Amino acid sequence: MNSAYFRPQSIALRPRREPCIVAAVDTSSIKIGETPTGMLVAVRGANVWKENKDYRYSRLGPFIFHITEENKRDVYTMLQRAYFGSSYDGSHMNFPNIMQMPMRIAGLLERWLQTMLSKSVSKGLILFDGSLTSGTGDTSIQLMKEILATARKKENVVLAFSKMTSLRLNGRLITDVLPKIRPPYLLEMSGVRTKPPILLLGDIYVARFSKEKYAFRLDIDRETPYHQQLAAAERLLWNESLSQSYPETLRLAHILCTFTANEVIAMQHFAVRRYGHQIINRPDMHRVLFGPFGKGEIYS
Amino acid sequence: MKLYKKEGNILQILSFPNETVEKGDYLLVEDAEAGKGLVVQVIDVQFASVPGVLEELLRSLPDGGEVIQGEDFDPLEIAPHIAYIQDASLVICKIRATVENGSLSPSSSWLPSRSQSTIRKLTIPTLLKLANVDGKLPIVLGGTKDSSLLTIDASLLDGRLNIITGKKETGKSHLSKLLMANLVGFKATVVVFDLNGEYSGLGVTSDGKRNAYYDKTHVLTPSQNFKVALKQLNLHVLLGILIHALHLPGTSAREFRRIWQTLKEKDKLTLHELGETIPLWQCNQHVRDALFSRYHSLINSGFFTDNSAEATLLEDCLFRAKEHGGAVIVNLRNTSTIDRQIVVEYVLGKLVEMLTNWKLKATFLFAEEAHLYLRETYWDDIVTRMRHFGIFTTFITNQPDTIRENIYRQADNIFLFNFTNEHDLDVVSRAARVDAETVRSIARDLPPHYCLTLGKVVKDFPMVVKIRALDIKTMGETRLFFNDSN
Repeated sequence: MNSAYFRPQSIALRPRREPCIVAAVDTSSIKIGETPTGMLVAVRGANVWKENKDYRYSRLGPFIFHITEENKRDVYTMLQRAYFGSSYDGSHMNFPNIMQMPMRIAGLLERWLQTMLSKSVSKGLILFDGSLTSGTGDTSIQLMKEILATARKKENVVLAFSKMTSLRLNGRLITDVLPKIRPPYLLEMSGVRTKPPILLLGDIYVARFSKEKYAFRLDIDRETPYHQQLAAAERLLWNESLSQSYPETLRLAHILCTFTANEVIAMQHFAVRRYGHQIINRPDMHRVLFGPFGKGEIYS
Repeated sequence: MKLYKKEGNILQILSFPNETVEKGDYLLVEDAEAGKGLVVQVIDVQFASVPGVLEELLRSLPDGGEVIQGEDFDPLEIAPHIAYIQDASLVICKIRATVENGSLSPSSSWLPSRSQSTIRKLTIPTLLKLANVDGKLPIVLGGTKDSSLLTIDASLLDGRLNIITGKKETGKSHLSKLLMANLVGFKATVVVFDLNGEYSGLGVTSDGKRNAYYDKTHVLTPSQNFKVALKQLNLHVLLGILIHALHLPGTSAREFRRIWQTLKEKDKLTLHELGETIPLWQCNQHVRDALFSRYHSLINSGFFTDNSAEATLLEDCLFRAKEHGGAVIVNLRNTSTIDRQIVVEYVLGKLVEMLTNWKLKATFLFAEEAHLYLRETYWDDIVTRMRHFGIFTTFITNQPDTIRENIYRQADNIFLFNFTNEHDLDVVSRAARVDAETVRSIARDLPPHYCLTLGKVVKDFPMVVKIRALDIKTMGETRLFFNDSN
């Protein structure tokens, strides 16, 4: 972002009394164990929607995969075909380290769930977790464009909330640069540029919807007209509970799909009992080498 | 089940939902390699500390406290596995013994293998067989959870101090009747201080017919069919009544002794003569007044008589019981506190006298709510001196704190029914033959008529038993206001 002289424009918002469905998608992935040849991965996704003040959910999974160096490409392309009928970029994709496969598989499930929501909801607000940035390793531009187009066809507006952002303005994170005006408001971050192949499919805002000092990067479908983008934010204010500026529907979607420790134990139990997988407990070399100074390995 | 942890003589075992384990159950932790096993008893069942359970519970209630509605598509059917893990329980067990080559020893000093040990339920019959809980004089107490009968040996009540305790209406009196009936069946002499007139139906079935105990049951109701003539009394028995029940001072007691000797020499030991003599007796006016007031207390009790035909010989009842076994039931219902103490002093004094003279071999004494009639000094007397004479007491109470701590410490057998009050459980847990955790944990959850049996009768393996029914007419029922439409 050319930030030296950039001043974001703040847009005050007022709740717009237009009842509509608010729907959200989130997925979660976890490595549940290592086997002699690879690793066991679990993914789960959840759609949550709010209609007439009631929240409902549809949760898919957990789906457990045994990923090895040998089968990772086959598994991924098979899933792509199963979800979308074709492989968007799998054949050309430079397959990453096996450790990144849980995220990739979860990404596929998330896109499929987003597709389903964009087809089934009409005149609603569809909330995604993350940004509308496309062209990264795990997000196909074509697929993302199709999802957004389907949503628009059904008169939906897609809003994507990022809990973390690396975008900076005048050296500071955009979510830290908050004007002294009364929330709710949006800060318009026009002028954000990206390098190919990365493509922004949304207009970027910083959203602060409640008095608490929390703000989030908000991407709204770029093909949606500007005034409809703002109207969507105002409809969200009316139709959704926004504690800490974060939509409850999205929070629930996250909570419902996240794996808890006992679920991990249960899935290990399942994999061992049903499929006879041998789960290996490798020593944590950080702990072995550094004792109390070892923080343990962190897999993202 | 998997062995998880051992701390002291507490063993923690991980159990899964398809393995039903309840408090009171016995388990055998077998280490085949070591060639021995631990006999442990479940004293508590807790949720296993499975990580992430709190998050799981919170997740199910995110919508302002109401359960969020939705559908789960779980094609691999992982949910039952999650439930399986979440419902895992931690079984807290107390080590009772080590079994090696088919014999038991109280040792718990070895550690079975965590990975190799097998854990299985130990049925009560198997445990009873291992512990040699049988005998020639069987008393079937009732059924255990695994549908087997718990049989104790009556000889293990012989010469012992027993306590039956539990809160109201849990079945204490029922058990004491069961023990009494069985002891009488084995030709034992049983004396009962029956506070509420509950035991007088011992010889009658619930439908009013005579049973096997009818001719062996002797119900003595003070001042009705149980009266005593002064001539039948020994001086020390009457002095016991005057000093302990009627609190006669020592100086006055000395004068009474002199009056008694004088009347005895003249063969005029009657209430009438005693009443004539005291006012004319040459002694201090206060002493005379003290003696006269006690004399009136004796008269007012209605327990003493000059009519020899009216006087019942306790001795006769006891002799009859000695021959064929029998229960002498002293019905203390509708008797005032003072009169109760007079009667109890008399009966105990008479028993000691007869036992000292070897007129009686031994007696089983059942004392309900003994604090209501037993003087302070008798508690120690009963567990020490009287036991040596052959009075083997069973205390029955719903107020465990009324029995002294030293009685609990010396109790050989405790039959414990349900208690929920922490204080009551604390008191009982002072018994020497049981650990506090077992008492606190198991007794609190006992349903009515279930009894935790502790002590020598079960070879110190605490066992929960449902006391069997007894076809005996229920007496001493509580009078109710609403039980009659009139």
